[in-house]
Amino acid sequence: MSVPTTLRCLVRPSVPRHVPRQVAVVWAAPFSTTASLAANPPKKKASAQMASIRSGKKMQLGKFKKKAPGGRTGKSPLPGERKAVRKRIQLSNSNALPVPGLAELTSEYMADKVNAGTVVSLPGTVQDELRVIEAFKPTQYWGMFRNPSMLVRSETVDLIGRMQDSAEKKQTLKLVVSGDRLTGKSMLLLQGMAHGLLNEWIVINIPEAQELTTASTEYAPIPGTDPVQYMQNNYALKLVQAVRKANEKTLTRLTTAYSHPELPQNIPINSTLMQLANSAKEADSAWYVFHALWQELMAKGQGRPPILLTLDGLQHIMKVSDYRSAAYNPIHSHDLALVRLFTDCLAGNHQFPGGGAVLAATSRGNAPRVPSMELALSQRAAEQAGAEIPKHDPFFRDYDTRVEASLKKVQVLKVSGVSKLEARAVMEYWAASGVLRKTVDEATVTEKWTLGGHGVLGEMERASLLTMRP
Amino acid sequence: MASSRPCFTVLRGICQRRGTQWQQPLGQQLQALRITSNSLANSTSRRCFATDQPTRESLSIEAAGEVNLAALKQFGSKSRARPVPASPSYFSRIPVFNDSYLALEKLIRTYGNLPTIPTSQVERVAWKTLRDYRQTIGEQVKAGDYGRCIGLVKRLHQIHPKLKPGPVKEALEAFKRDIQPFTNVATPIVVDKFGRAVGVGRRKSSTARAWVVEGNGEIQINGKSLADFFGRVHDRESAVWALHATGRLDKYNVWALADGGGTTGQAEALTLAIAKGLMAHEPALKPALRRAGCVTRDPRRVERKKHGRVKARKMPAWVKR
Repeated sequence: MSVPTTLRCLVRPSVPRHVPRQVAVVWAAPFSTTASLAANPPKKKASAQMASIRSGKKMQLGKFKKKAPGGRTGKSPLPGERKAVRKRIQLSNSNALPVPGLAELTSEYMADKVNAGTVVSLPGTVQDELRVIEAFKPTQYWGMFRNPSMLVRSETVDLIGRMQDSAEKKQTLKLVVSGDRLTGKSMLLLQGMAHGLLNEWIVINIPEAQELTTASTEYAPIPGTDPVQYMQNNYALKLVQAVRKANEKTLTRLTTAYSHPELPQNIPINSTLMQLANSAKEADSAWYVFHALWQELMAKGQGRPPILLTLDGLQHIMKVSDYRSAAYNPIHSHDLALVRLFTDCLAGNHQFPGGGAVLAATSRGNAPRVPSMELALSQRAAEQAGAEIPKHDPFFRDYDTRVEASLKKVQVLKVSGVSKLEARAVMEYWAASGVLRKTVDEATVTEKWTLGGHGVLGEMERASLLTMRP
Repeated sequence: MASSRPCFTVLRGICQRRGTQWQQPLGQQLQALRITSNSLANSTSRRCFATDQPTRESLSIEAAGEVNLAALKQFGSKSRARPVPASPSYFSRIPVFNDSYLALEKLIRTYGNLPTIPTSQVERVAWKTLRDYRQTIGEQVKAGDYGRCIGLVKRLHQIHPKLKPGPVKEALEAFKRDIQPFTNVATPIVVDKFGRAVGVGRRKSSTARAWVVEGNGEIQINGKSLADFFGRVHDRESAVWALHATGRLDKYNVWALADGGGTTGQAEALTLAIAKGLMAHEPALKPALRRAGCVTRDPRRVERKKHGRVKARKMPAWVKR
């Protein structure tokens, strides 16, 4: 009975049974003595795999990966090249559409009340002169349009009117333009300068007050001054050259009234002011040339034209500068001769013989806080408005008497958002230039006017021009 | 005691099968017991079943009374009769659901012919969810069974409210949720005597109140203009989106207060606040505002951090041993 069963054991089963295959695992320890492992010794491949796993993982200490070499080729920009690109001012764009029927700025245009709320384009000559005296700022959106044009707003008409008044009366207008961020304070100065250039005023512009006081340009004590004043020759050279280029026509017409023995070059009396300005060839004597030029412009009874003196970023010259004296004491900004000249004019210590204006604009983007200046300006504004005059904070001791003295007689022009009418004019200009691709109607104007914080022009530009959406 | 589930199912099967044929009251039918067996005669003492749920004393049910065998003689000489309990849920551990189901069916039979009103006009009631109901009666009711039960409930609820009988109302009460969200009515925003309508909006952790008046598009938030308050143009657009989307930006002025959270939250809280204020002036704008996404409050908040994780979801870095 048992034979068939035992025989059956020897017979190979007809249907193979599914037995889980015994996999020869080679990950185990190599010292195993089992036969299977002895028959299949651990293969090289396995160890290689282990090695590759380990070699693939590296501890990374830094947060950022090093880039593979050879990723970026090409020359890195030279020193100063990046800044030049950043500060580049592009005044026209051939991709923008020319705006038909745009008036060109004339000498009387901005003084006329009728022209408030219109857009005018700057004539080519004025563009060049304004560019020389650095009236255009890299943050303004000139490069989006075919021709540099600007909105004549009610504040412009007001300012130009005051300038004309003072020129007619041979008086000096002392005015500070203040207002919120991006409201167009620098633009108002530019309009003043354009008006001055068109009316043959002598225009002197200090485009960035911080260049004078942040210890970024050379300085030296002026011998024979007490208390010591400091001249900034490099800056003076730049300034004289800018004044010379921008006011060439007027300076050629005027002649000198004094001899200037301190200058390296002999400038005889009755030579043109252009010759005097031309004598500033190198930085060493530049301050003296500028000083001589200023004296000539201040000469009484010589038929001098009105003068426009402008400065942007008033806060920077109303504080202690970053310069140090020989005794390593901080130098007050008003001890810098060029700044002193400006603040004296602002304080009304200089009477321009042909009248003129001293305009300063505060800055909100990059400016230190100057409590004295803020207080003085709010006091002047309150005086003009007939409101209650703010007083000193009795618990604050860092008020600066020199600052307050320099701002005793100024007028304050507050700039805020434009009206909807002006907003509409400027938006129609954008639409005609092809930058704003929308129908300019009441709804659109109000939308942008609201988004721009009640017509703050810079914010309106941000809200309508710098968006990629249609 | 056996598990309640199989018994219950069997019993429900019986009652369902008979349900269609019953013409007499339920109790009458069920009290007709037919029994002769000796084994049962020994154990026909009065029994009381306490339920498994210890707290529910009310659910304890009584067994049927002693069988009067003499009285049963009249039904003939059936020697092997089987006793049938009075309630079909006699053998189930917790008979509440089954009983209430039967009660509902009875109500349907009794009052099913009363006039109904269309479902759209029926007063909205939040019925107990399956989970709520299970918790209330402590019985593992099946989802399908409960669905059918709620079907009956809704049918009864559809009876015209003026004709709805007291028993129906009572029976439905058991199926209503404790808190009825549909009875909450939002206080309507009114335009006050100065022409202001104040709306409140929230988003993330910001809150904003906006006073909307008729005007010419001036907007002030916390005493600042829109451009002063929001540096990003996107946030400014979000804040006035309700006015912008309905083309009302030049027709209203807004004076708003926003606090809490960040800029995005405040901007989107303002969207909601201004939209609500605007709806008080022009209720017809609601569909347009809903399409613009200005009506629904976004309930999302910062997800909480969990233990074992670096942030809400982020797992710690893998370290090899």
